[in-house]
Amino acid sequence: MANIQYSGVRESKPGRINDLGTTGKEVEENFRKGCLKKADRSFAQGLQCQQINSMAALMSLEDSVFISHSPQGCVGCSIMAVDMYRVGQAHRGIKNIKNPRVIVTNIDQKSVVFGGEQKLRDSVKKAVERYNPKLAFIYASCASGIIGDDIDAIAGDLQQEYPDTLMVPIHCEGFKSKICASGFDAAFLAINKYILKKEPVPKEEGLVNLFAPTTVSYADQKEMERMLSQIGARVNYIPFYSSLEKIRKIPAAQASTSICKVFADEFMKTLWEDYEIPYSHTVMPIGIRNTDKWYRGIAKVLGKEKKVEEIIAKEHERIEPLVAELKKRLQGKRVFICGGTGRSFAAAALIDDFGMELVGLETPTYDEDAQTDIEYLNGIHKNFVVDIANMQPFEQVNLLSKLKPDAFIGVPEWASKLSIPTTHVLDGKRPTMGYDGLLFLGNKIADQLQNPGFNVKLAQHVKLPYKDSWYQEDAFKYIKGDN
Amino acid sequence: MSQIMENPRGGCVLAGINSVLGAINRICPILHSGPGCCMQTTAAEQGQSGHKSSCFISGVSLPSSNMLEKEVVFGGTEKLRTTIQGAVDIIDADAYFVLTGCTAGIIGDDIVSVTQEFQNKGHAVYPIETPGFAGDSNLGYEIVWNTMIDQIIEENVPKDEKLVNIFGIVPYHDPFWSGTLEEIDRILSRLGLKVNTFFTKNQGIEDIKKCSGAALNIIVNPWLFKGPAKKFEEKFGVPSIRIPGIFIGATDTTKFVRVVAEALNLDNELVDIVIQSEEQYVYNYLAQAIGVVSWKRFAVVADASNAVGITRYLANDFSFTPVLVIISEPIFRPGDKERIIEQINDMEYAVPPKVVFAADQYEINQALLNEEKEITLLIGSSNDREVALEKDIQFILASFPMSERLIFNRTYAGYRGSLTFTEDLYDNL
Repeated sequence: MANIQYSGVRESKPGRINDLGTTGKEVEENFRKGCLKKADRSFAQGLQCQQINSMAALMSLEDSVFISHSPQGCVGCSIMAVDMYRVGQAHRGIKNIKNPRVIVTNIDQKSVVFGGEQKLRDSVKKAVERYNPKLAFIYASCASGIIGDDIDAIAGDLQQEYPDTLMVPIHCEGFKSKICASGFDAAFLAINKYILKKEPVPKEEGLVNLFAPTTVSYADQKEMERMLSQIGARVNYIPFYSSLEKIRKIPAAQASTSICKVFADEFMKTLWEDYEIPYSHTVMPIGIRNTDKWYRGIAKVLGKEKKVEEIIAKEHERIEPLVAELKKRLQGKRVFICGGTGRSFAAAALIDDFGMELVGLETPTYDEDAQTDIEYLNGIHKNFVVDIANMQPFEQVNLLSKLKPDAFIGVPEWASKLSIPTTHVLDGKRPTMGYDGLLFLGNKIADQLQNPGFNVKLAQHVKLPYKDSWYQEDAFKYIKGDN
Repeated sequence: MSQIMENPRGGCVLAGINSVLGAINRICPILHSGPGCCMQTTAAEQGQSGHKSSCFISGVSLPSSNMLEKEVVFGGTEKLRTTIQGAVDIIDADAYFVLTGCTAGIIGDDIVSVTQEFQNKGHAVYPIETPGFAGDSNLGYEIVWNTMIDQIIEENVPKDEKLVNIFGIVPYHDPFWSGTLEEIDRILSRLGLKVNTFFTKNQGIEDIKKCSGAALNIIVNPWLFKGPAKKFEEKFGVPSIRIPGIFIGATDTTKFVRVVAEALNLDNELVDIVIQSEEQYVYNYLAQAIGVVSWKRFAVVADASNAVGITRYLANDFSFTPVLVIISEPIFRPGDKERIIEQINDMEYAVPPKVVFAADQYEINQALLNEEKEITLLIGSSNDREVALEKDIQFILASFPMSERLIFNRTYAGYRGSLTFTEDLYDNL
């Protein structure tokens, strides 16, 4: 059993840092020597707050109402999850597509002075009267946290009043973390505390929890489920398009795994500690190497090592000639990658399948997990820049203008204005994962490299908002230590 | 005072301020706020407005002090200072506006003093002290213009009798804002006027500084911009006229042209020629597709301005039957509500529809589902498609928030926009 309850704030883990400009070789060495120091940027651009992730993670749950104890602006980003939910329903063949029920308490000046408790109570009352939901998630915000509204106590009280709706308060105050993945942890901590409650449930042979964030497409879900069924597993897909019943089944599983490295990784540890459910925490299954690794990881937990090797051999036989064709088109091309923790490292592994060379990598945090990936990447690529940054497009464009890569993988918005061919691997609506997903991505990269007309012409007409002098400066000049 | 809201349409006042500034060329907002506010506020408005966002800077490109626990406890002004310094060092903007998030607002950081330090050094950095929790994005539009009136727009600018300022169309909060402003600009230019739209034609801070030289402010909205209009007249002597809703189609657009012409005393002959040719243009097309679009009994869910425009066009010019109009933005002043109802009740031939004021999605859904009269066409936002699917009726996505279509310069407003709207009405079912 764990002695110290994990707070849900990712910065609380020793050795994890968020602000650093370095190289692959240097960061590997410094991490090993314990020389990486916490830093900060004296100038920065906007981050993604953890509340966004806490909301997005759960927004497709059935019979649920999502109550944001915040001003109206804090549900702005929920539109992305709302869109995923609507499109996800369409992909699943649902005709009468529904909206998720999001209620904002709308903290205002009066609440800032007198507290927002009454608004939260009234919001929950509305939620229950309107939908009689099985679950009411109550999200904290910067504002509710600073004015000191005790959402746990209020939720406890409301639980007595409305026994048929499970109240789940989530501590995702934005100011608590720079790492938006903390929001996933906050959501799972709350699920464990208020829904699972360490209560024992009968085990189900072959049941595997597959944790997936909203950004995983239905095509990818089906592929992961197919792969797991081939090694005899039945999938409990959590929490996307899931339900209270499926959440309650989590402790019944024989094993757990996740599609994303920073999604439910902490929760899977908790499930091991509280329910002795073994888990596989490997990589995101993008590209051959990562798909193999992910597949072997969960197969090992299930004792299906032999079976999985047979399948992998067969898949390789099928896929390798097709990848070889792509390799002819992509070999030696220089790539810059920017993405979330899971996708950035996955993309870095993917380009190796195609014989491409990594020249720069932007990823939000550096920790033990990142070290494992960097060790692997240093074994393949001679020299690449590492920018530990949650986006920070100003640093990205500075690096891109100096490194001049042939291709950029990540959010295309800025690199495209520098006329670099761009491919996004975060695609919540199309396939990116497993053995077929990599063909989709490979073709996309190769075709965009071959035909970069849009970006080339765009760059001739549209300028990024930075001064010319910025491109001459050190990209990392605003990263300062001692914080 | 803010209401509890299900599936709210748009963001907080910070979101409104951010997106309105984002529509002005080469202006850089700097957020003194929590770490998520750049993304949240951009997503709340620009992110729900037909998938286009500021051409200059938006979202995670916005400079931000990203206030964390340390700043919450010890204050964030030092972080703000280095953030502004970085912004003026590397971002090539004509003006910078420092915006206040809830965190900075609650702990009471003095952003005005920090901003003043930069002004003293000659930088065009301006403070906006209204924190996120102070209201919604409509208020944000007014706050931006109050800031411009108080801090930016110059006094004693020489008068230009042909110059007009357009207000009341909120960038991004109205997904058709670009196209609508371009159509208004096109029509008024034909009358010999020079038009400040502020958000198209790459207009920027210099156009704003000199806009006090205008002969007239034209407010195209039934209720917004009351405060700023009064201030504008008091400080710069520019009078305002209010067009109580977006004009769609020949009838209302001609009415708009005549009101402007009268206010500015324009040459009647020219006005008649323009009206005649514009109307002819519209009817030449309408005459080519008679009976093609099947008759509908319709409901509209939209902000007041668009609801008025859509309802009046469909009923007065297209002979559809209006059944229910839901004004889906919070409106508090009784006088404003009356003005809106008056516009919708003023039908040429049709029986006026029922008018409901509801911004909460559940209340909107209930009003649609409980309507006793038959509805066969619903015009609304992405949030309203659910009810249309449930009722199995035609649905047109034409109001904010708008997620399932890409909008550049499309508009339903004016003479030409009404043809686009009519094209979209066609369903072949």
